[in-house]
Amino acid sequence: MSKTILLVEDNELNRDMLVRRLSRAGLDVITAGNGEEALEQMRSAQPGVVLMDMNLPVMDGWTACRKAREEDAIAEIPIVALTAHASAEDRKTAMDAGCCEYATKPIDFPELLAKIKKLQGDD
Amino acid sequence: MTSSLTPSNAPWSDLLLRATAELREVYQRHIPELDSAAHEDFSKLFESALRLDRMISAEVLDRHELRNILSALQGYGEMLREDLGALHPELDATLTRLLRAAQAANEGEQESEPESDDSGERSIASEPGFILAVDDLQENRELVARYLSRSGHMVVTASGGGEALQTLEQADVDVVLLDLMMPDMDGREVLRRIKEHPDWRATPVIVISGRQDMDGIIECIEAGADDYLFKPFNPVLLQARIKAGIERKRWHDREELYRQQLERNEKFIRATFGRYLSDEIVTDILERPEGLELGGDLRRVTIMMADIRGFTSIVEHLAPDQVVTLINRYLAAMTDIIMAHQGTIDEFIGDAILAVFGAPQHRDDDADRAARCALEMQAAMDAINHSNREDGLPEIQTAIALNTGDVIAGNIGSERRSKYGFVGHPMNVTSRIEDVTPGGEVLIADSTLNELQGSYRTEAIPEPLQVKGIDEALVVHRLLEEKA
Repeated sequence: MSKTILLVEDNELNRDMLVRRLSRAGLDVITAGNGEEALEQMRSAQPGVVLMDMNLPVMDGWTACRKAREEDAIAEIPIVALTAHASAEDRKTAMDAGCCEYATKPIDFPELLAKIKKLQGDD
Repeated sequence: MTSSLTPSNAPWSDLLLRATAELREVYQRHIPELDSAAHEDFSKLFESALRLDRMISAEVLDRHELRNILSALQGYGEMLREDLGALHPELDATLTRLLRAAQAANEGEQESEPESDDSGERSIASEPGFILAVDDLQENRELVARYLSRSGHMVVTASGGGEALQTLEQADVDVVLLDLMMPDMDGREVLRRIKEHPDWRATPVIVISGRQDMDGIIECIEAGADDYLFKPFNPVLLQARIKAGIERKRWHDREELYRQQLERNEKFIRATFGRYLSDEIVTDILERPEGLELGGDLRRVTIMMADIRGFTSIVEHLAPDQVVTLINRYLAAMTDIIMAHQGTIDEFIGDAILAVFGAPQHRDDDADRAARCALEMQAAMDAINHSNREDGLPEIQTAIALNTGDVIAGNIGSERRSKYGFVGHPMNVTSRIEDVTPGGEVLIADSTLNELQGSYRTEAIPEPLQVKGIDEALVVHRLLEEKA
């Protein structure tokens, strides 16, 4: 399974930070700025894990998730939802869309890293 | 995680901005020791902190965006602590404070502050002022602007010395808040220029520097700084210093205004009296303005009238330029003598002189000065006639009358043309005495004789004068000389 992480985040500051932190943790990171780009990257790069913000321009995270699940080539790639909301309902919406994990912002990095490792190990 | 964050929760915003400003200061001191990756992370961290602060202070809160920025801030902060914390305890501590402030802002509950002060609790009421805050660091400028505009001041900021001087040129600044450590023009240099400038010199300057720069602060106070603050500064202390600065400036402005008024008054008085009075009297009036009232008021004065006997027939035989020479020589000499005795020359009418002793300023020896003046004027006629003979001009004789009485003194006339002058019956009486005074003599009224304090040799004129409007005949005396 690919060690590459796809980070889908439209906020430049948070994206740059996460790229830097994930790289420091020894992970290969590629990025996308919206849902459509995310789907393209998933098809071409076949990342091991996707970290996806839900509030995205052009195509939001939930839509991108659902579309990914419907597309055989990328349906199995695990997606971690990154959201600013901490409610149970919010979590359910993300899971219903096809995310397998959930992390709230501000990101607790050790926790996120643990989730990534778990997903990578699962495969 | 609760999200009770609302834009009105300004104290967290202050806390965040303060922590950012503090970190920036510490960071600047450590710059040479850090590698380029750390600089990069710091720059992102500061960007995040400022973005976050702006978002908290904004009217409308985009919660999603806020959490993104907070996430970035936290991420960079943690990375920097991981990399530098062990080596640089000061950076570690300030980073921790910044992270806590960010967290507190996010969670909507204010943490106890690292350094206990009562920011946000007390506020100092002050007259609003126009404050110029000069600092090369954006967080510091923003922090000062925020604290001070909240207490009603107008704050304009400058990021360097050049910009600060430009602002001073354009606006009437009440207090300058000056950071000492700036790259483009050092705070000391800005201070020096302010204190050298004639218009800015009085503007209070409060210098701001780190605790480690006590020498710099002392140097600045010697160079004219009015006050100082250490970074990171306590907001209440800042407000108090600003208040004191504004009060100093206002006091100076009032004093300056008063000085200008005095100067205008002095100009007015010199313009009004300079033609009639000696410089000595004008200066005396200016120094004791309470003795002078320009409005019409009743004054006891000794009036002097003098004219050249038979002048009309004398000039008939002279060329116009000779007339002017003759009369000017006479009037110039008489004017000098009158001014030397502090008389007020009211006017010249042809060859006639009207002067007054005792207005605009009363003195106890008004009558005596008038008497001595009159005797000296007569004594000066010899020299005048000597010059006249040399120039082929006729000899002349002057007749001088003195009378003492109450007259109205004041600016008389219309708005277009007015002069300091005198009105009253004693003026007419003097004129009547003068009419009968023979050339070369001084006649004084009884009223003047009674006011004389020195001893003079006089002789009574046997026939009293009849004056229109007075029932009793007027007793006059010939003034001969002052007794030694």
